[in-house]
Amino acid sequence: MRVALPTWDGRVSPVFDVARRLLVVDVERDAEVGRSEVDLEEARLAARASRVAAIGVHVLICGAISWPLEAMLTSAGTRVIPRMCGPVDDVLRAFIAGQLASEAFLMPGCRGRRRRFRGGRRHGGPPGTSRWRGMA
Amino acid sequence: MSESPEKRATETILDSIADGVFTVDESWRITSFNRAAEQITGVSRKEAIGQMCSDVFRASICETQCALKETMRTGRPIVNKAIYILDANGRRIPISISAAILKDAADNVIGGVETFRDLSMVEELRKELEEKYTFADIVGRSPAMRQLFELLPRIADSNSTVLIEGASGTGKELFARAIHSLSPRRDKRFVAINCGALPDTLLESELFGYKAGAFTDARHDKPGRLAIADGGTILLDEIGDVSPAMQSRLLRFLQEKTFEPLGAVEPLQVDVRVVAATNQDLNKLVKKGIFRQDLFYRINVIRLKLPELCDRREDIPLLVDRFVGKFNRLQDKDVAGVSEEALALLMEHDYPGNVRELENVIEHAFVLCRGGLIERHHLPPALRNETDSKLPRGERALTLKALEAIHIADAIRRHGGNRTAAARELGIDPSTLFRKIKSLGIPLPGSDHGNRKKE
Repeated sequence: MRVALPTWDGRVSPVFDVARRLLVVDVERDAEVGRSEVDLEEARLAARASRVAAIGVHVLICGAISWPLEAMLTSAGTRVIPRMCGPVDDVLRAFIAGQLASEAFLMPGCRGRRRRFRGGRRHGGPPGTSRWRGMA
Repeated sequence: MSESPEKRATETILDSIADGVFTVDESWRITSFNRAAEQITGVSRKEAIGQMCSDVFRASICETQCALKETMRTGRPIVNKAIYILDANGRRIPISISAAILKDAADNVIGGVETFRDLSMVEELRKELEEKYTFADIVGRSPAMRQLFELLPRIADSNSTVLIEGASGTGKELFARAIHSLSPRRDKRFVAINCGALPDTLLESELFGYKAGAFTDARHDKPGRLAIADGGTILLDEIGDVSPAMQSRLLRFLQEKTFEPLGAVEPLQVDVRVVAATNQDLNKLVKKGIFRQDLFYRINVIRLKLPELCDRREDIPLLVDRFVGKFNRLQDKDVAGVSEEALALLMEHDYPGNVRELENVIEHAFVLCRGGLIERHHLPPALRNETDSKLPRGERALTLKALEAIHIADAIRRHGGNRTAAARELGIDPSTLFRKIKSLGIPLPGSDHGNRKKE
């Protein structure tokens, strides 16, 4: 599974629409197996969504994101986990451990909202059997 | 936890302000957050305090052009910068922000303060205003256009033939479409045909259609545009370019409302409203014998003369706004508008190609401008060089002298002809400026507001 997080100053970039750097991490069997960073120069939302899809990102964990961009990413097949904040490595670790649902990572003002995901990796199976496993 | 009376008083004052206000410490964590800030961002004070300002504020500039960092770097406060923030639902909220540094009594930086204003209402008002100056997709607030807007519904309501006259790019088809969409025929088809673009035989088969077997390769019946437009409106564009033979066929149709498709034995009756358009002076064509007088009288029932763009310059800013909005939507860009200097250039141009030319100019600028404001250098070179061409002859190639002349002429123009002010901006003595104006042969505006001294 390929996970991506926009980064800025070691933290999740606050607004994905204008984020400049993307950390791309390959995760296999609950462990990080490789990472790279790419520049995001696309100013246009549609181009930005296509770029993320072209990188082969399955899950995008980001901060604030405008709804049209989120819709474009979703329709391009990227699962978006929006409104996350905090140090990138902590967020990534929590995602891999299936603990991203913790409110500590939700942006202020987004807490108590109806959640659209359940803590990053899907629960319900033994470790290493999340539904994203076969997609990497 | 008890708060000091002073802090409580400050909070009360901040809460009474309609603008959002928050302060940050040196590590960019929020230390105070007023009620308006809560309302605009949708983040409660409790949640905001102690958090990184970028996670709370979520502004388009946080990452690249943080207003506070910019203020700290330059030492100059930022006032009313237009940006957007994202709310929890992913909606962009347009705001204007101002930023300043906070210092303690010993002049040490202890953080910063940002104030911001929700511009959603302003945006709504702007849209409302735009609607006021927009009529069926046609933009204008000039007296000429408003007069046309007033006429349009009445013209649309009638069933009479309309002749639209206007130079290329003035929006003849747009007006024809507006007449159709405002008329009781709006549910039927609007069909446009450019009479000037087609040779006679093709125009005939396009307009009137043909029957199978009418000529070689005519295997099936083809309905003409007139038949397609039955019950609706047809626009005969470039009517002045129609050949005499075709003119007589059109005349017959206008008189009898019937026509015969090529190869047909029975005439067809249709109910079509005709709107004719031309960029030529049909009166002159009639006098020259190129255009049939009887046809002219048939189509000249209601006549609309569309003004050229150079005759309604006051509409240029509105049109520019419209095109910027259009290309933002089409190209998914975020161009805020046009800088003052670029707008001044756009206002000065004569637009032989009218609104279409202006649209092309904005499209050109969109290719070069990635965001922010469209500046002078984003405009087509021909437009930029116009100011240059008003400068000394024979010095158009960019020699040092020519550049100097352009620079000086620009400065004088910026100051409305005030040479003293221009000299101050250029950092030279007024007498040096006068000498340069003379030696470089720079043309001057009629009056000199800043210098009444007679030479």
